[in-house]
Amino acid sequence: MRILVSWLQELVELPVGPAGAGPAGPTNIAELADALTMRGFEVGAVEPWPVAEGAPPDAVLDLEITTNRPDCLSVFGIAREVGTIYAADCRLPEIESAVAADQDAPLAISIDDADLCPRYVGALADVEVGPSPRWLAARLEAADVRPINNVVDVTNYVMLELGQPMHAFDLAKLAGPEIRVRRAADGERIRTLDGVERTLQPQMLTIADAQQPQAIAGVMGGADSEVGDATRTIVLEAAYFNPISVRRTSKRLALSTDASFRFERGADVLAPLTAIARARHLLKAIGAGRARGAIVDCFPAPPDPIVVRLRHHRLGHVLGQTVDPSFVAPTLTRLGFAPRSERNGESPVWRVTVPSFRVDVNREEDLIEEVARHHGYERLPTTFPALTRPPQAAGDWRPRDQTVRRLLTGCGFSEAITYGFIEREAALAVHEDASDLVALSNPLSEKGAVLRPSLIPGLVDSLIHNRRRERQDIRLFELGSRFRQGDGETPSLALALTGAARAQHWTGAERKSDLFDLTGALTRLAEGFGVHAAFEADTTRALVPGRTARIQLTIGADTTPVGWVGQLDPALASRRGLPGAHEVYVAEIDLRSLTLEAFARLRAAPVPRHPSIVRDLSLEIDDALPAARVRDTIRTAAGPALVSVREVDRYQGSDVATGAVSLSVRLTFRASDRTLTDAEVQTATDRVVSALEQAHSAKLR
Amino acid sequence: MTAPTAIDAIRAAFQADLSTIATAQDLQSVRDRYLGRKQGQVAALMKSMAGAAPADRPALGKAANVLKREIDAALTLRRETLEATARPVGSVDVTLPGRELPFGRRHPLTLIREQVESIFEAMGFEILQGPQVEDDHHNFEALNMPPDHPARDMQDTFYLERPMPGGGDGSARPATLLRTHTSGMQIRYMESHEPPVRIIAPGLVYRRDTPDLTHSPMFMQVEGLLVGEAVTMADLKGTLIGFLRRFFDADTRVMFRPSFFPYTEPSAEVFISCVFCGGDGCAVCKQTGWLEILGCGMVHPAVFEAVGYDPERYTGWAFGLGIDRVALLKYRVEDIRLFYDNDLRLLEQFPQ
Repeated sequence: MRILVSWLQELVELPVGPAGAGPAGPTNIAELADALTMRGFEVGAVEPWPVAEGAPPDAVLDLEITTNRPDCLSVFGIAREVGTIYAADCRLPEIESAVAADQDAPLAISIDDADLCPRYVGALADVEVGPSPRWLAARLEAADVRPINNVVDVTNYVMLELGQPMHAFDLAKLAGPEIRVRRAADGERIRTLDGVERTLQPQMLTIADAQQPQAIAGVMGGADSEVGDATRTIVLEAAYFNPISVRRTSKRLALSTDASFRFERGADVLAPLTAIARARHLLKAIGAGRARGAIVDCFPAPPDPIVVRLRHHRLGHVLGQTVDPSFVAPTLTRLGFAPRSERNGESPVWRVTVPSFRVDVNREEDLIEEVARHHGYERLPTTFPALTRPPQAAGDWRPRDQTVRRLLTGCGFSEAITYGFIEREAALAVHEDASDLVALSNPLSEKGAVLRPSLIPGLVDSLIHNRRRERQDIRLFELGSRFRQGDGETPSLALALTGAARAQHWTGAERKSDLFDLTGALTRLAEGFGVHAAFEADTTRALVPGRTARIQLTIGADTTPVGWVGQLDPALASRRGLPGAHEVYVAEIDLRSLTLEAFARLRAAPVPRHPSIVRDLSLEIDDALPAARVRDTIRTAAGPALVSVREVDRYQGSDVATGAVSLSVRLTFRASDRTLTDAEVQTATDRVVSALEQAHSAKLR
Repeated sequence: MTAPTAIDAIRAAFQADLSTIATAQDLQSVRDRYLGRKQGQVAALMKSMAGAAPADRPALGKAANVLKREIDAALTLRRETLEATARPVGSVDVTLPGRELPFGRRHPLTLIREQVESIFEAMGFEILQGPQVEDDHHNFEALNMPPDHPARDMQDTFYLERPMPGGGDGSARPATLLRTHTSGMQIRYMESHEPPVRIIAPGLVYRRDTPDLTHSPMFMQVEGLLVGEAVTMADLKGTLIGFLRRFFDADTRVMFRPSFFPYTEPSAEVFISCVFCGGDGCAVCKQTGWLEILGCGMVHPAVFEAVGYDPERYTGWAFGLGIDRVALLKYRVEDIRLFYDNDLRLLEQFPQ
């Protein structure tokens, strides 16, 4: 909302400017702007406005009006606030003097849908269409409203001045002096002032003549009855339209105007009559025309004003400070309220009648805000609220997420945050079931068409972003939500890596990352939660078969599949823009599977007091036999004294049979109550060897 | 051979030997060769002087002693030089770079979020997390934003094509939109807890804004809510000023200014003295000296009514803070979109 300070000064007795500083007023325009800003009307800019030689300085205030204050989308509304700030009086602009009501109505108005239009005021004026006088055009221009002709300009002027949107029809182009306010018939059409032919829907309100719609109520007039140079008589309209109806119509037609902007926020149901009288006065004053006949006011059921109680003690209770009662009533009065004392004394109570233009006020808190705004937030004290019960701990998610971050940053992974929505194609690349995807009905672009069913696509894109910027070695992780129609929103953890696991260093050459870097990190992650991770060969979408594993967590006796790890399909990586043939490894696990419960139950075991004995076995086994099976067999056969099994070498060569592999394992034995003898360990080792022979035809090398 | 000639010969030989000394052992053997008590050449020279003419002896003796001191000094100097450059057995070049160990970083938004969380945690706030897909009731209606409310334009919303299971675990009503703020979690908490309430809810939120330097369609927010029997706007001021001074700087000036949010009344926007110019005015604060940092206000009674709290008995306040905005200011990052590129050249500037 852009308004000229000089216009404002016409409506409120206020000396502004170095020339006319008064004792109670601001000493200059900047001070006025500050005062408005501190009352909730942010002045984004003060633009100097050219004035005649010798005149006091003028400026355009560019005000931001919050959606709850449509009454301040006008010069008079701002004047009222300014008057309250400086205890200055406001005055309404000049209007046409009352016309005898017993005149014959020059215009027939019927409202078919009073729910959408409780009041419609119309009047005629004979006009001579031409350009507006310079001063009037300049005020419109200052407000960024384009001057068109004196008639249209007057309607816009009144809207800016009083906040009441208006419209003028060319009477000659209507089917007679008759206005019907009615809903559109299905499929009815109208060409609006912007030249667009629009099809209306039955819930849209129109202003029609006897035959057809001539305006979309509260949104835009029709081109057929547009005021032009040849117009001799106009029908002036000022009405109140239902805010929700205007908003819906405006949204459906994707057509927002100065009028719809005001109506959808809530106009003043008592303003239309004043607006018409003001417009007819102005037409006469600028020599653009003169009134014909009486003003016709169709207002079947004027609403009762709202009355709200304001308790002085409640005011202090909410603000945390007692406001002087003698400040309250005058402030509300200047803002247009009518406070009446219901109880005096220490803790007064007022019954406050709310003016019709304050559509935002209907309960006590609304009045408290009015008083607080003008009292000044800066005057409120600062206190600290007492704790009345012990603070509660955050949910388990918080230590969990912090632990994940600590563990993975320690493994060299940096945290990424990627968008919750991704391309449909990227989602389908990792998640086959299209019906499980959650699509947005109004995405910004195809790049964010669906909510991510997995964190992997976003993380891979971030990895590729880095790879395309000269970065070779990348390790990223993300904690976040994934979304599926089937199981809703669930917390997930994804990891991605590429490049060297060990960079080239003067001590040795670089080592390329492989799957075991990622399974190693996952193993560390599991250990950090006090559980055990295992990996089983399996296949899933987007991961290379033979280099993919299901991740399982073992907690006590339970083993649960929790996610996937593997090499990303190189064709997919390349489609997403990965340059060259770099191997990318990814993993994703269900974050709900990680809990710190194991540590919550932690009881420290005694530190071993007896030495351990180590035995290395070199086995020749089938190349396709998973190490996990060998480990299982060893564990089962060795008995309770075996404390660990570790693969220490894996080797294929000329001295190993084709299709076989040499696997060396290191077994560590220990008893908690005594030092084991060589004989005991040998017996256990023999059991292991024979079990391996039986189960896997393993040969000792 | 005359004595002076012998002295010169020894001196010349010594000079030759001296130049070959490379180790402490070399040095010792040269010292033994020339200054050894029994086998040394200087000792032999002294002995041979017994055969010289008595008149010549004092001069010869003197010359021999000069030679002895010369050799001794030269060897001492040589020893010091040797010691200065000697490296102990097994020594290494400590100036070579160490091995690179894994070093990942937390995301800058996580860092800010955790700082905010820990300050409020110290003030007794419980930290909550809620779902990003929400239903209309929790995101709008319970917050005094009925359908067709113009304030909904303040938060342009992404809608789902069809509803999905809501409440994170599907326990709640079906979700139809991406939350535009984390307030839904506060509603959920109030629906299931009686006052007093002292919570913050951090998380990602979505608004249908075209991306630019300061707008991202997804960003991170933290909202706070405090409800009790005598909670005042003065408490709101005190708590937020306390938080902002701890987060930014003990000297930060804080300004509260009236504003509008449908779910609070009175509502305020909070500004801090510009962290770049200290309030003198610069390009970042557009010469105002102030930076808008958060929105807040007293909880609207309609919100209490929506969750079944008695608005006559309870009062409360709420605030919302943009983590991205704070991160932009605190770390002087120029473009909000950089936070979601996950460029390691940015991420690796932050601590673990």
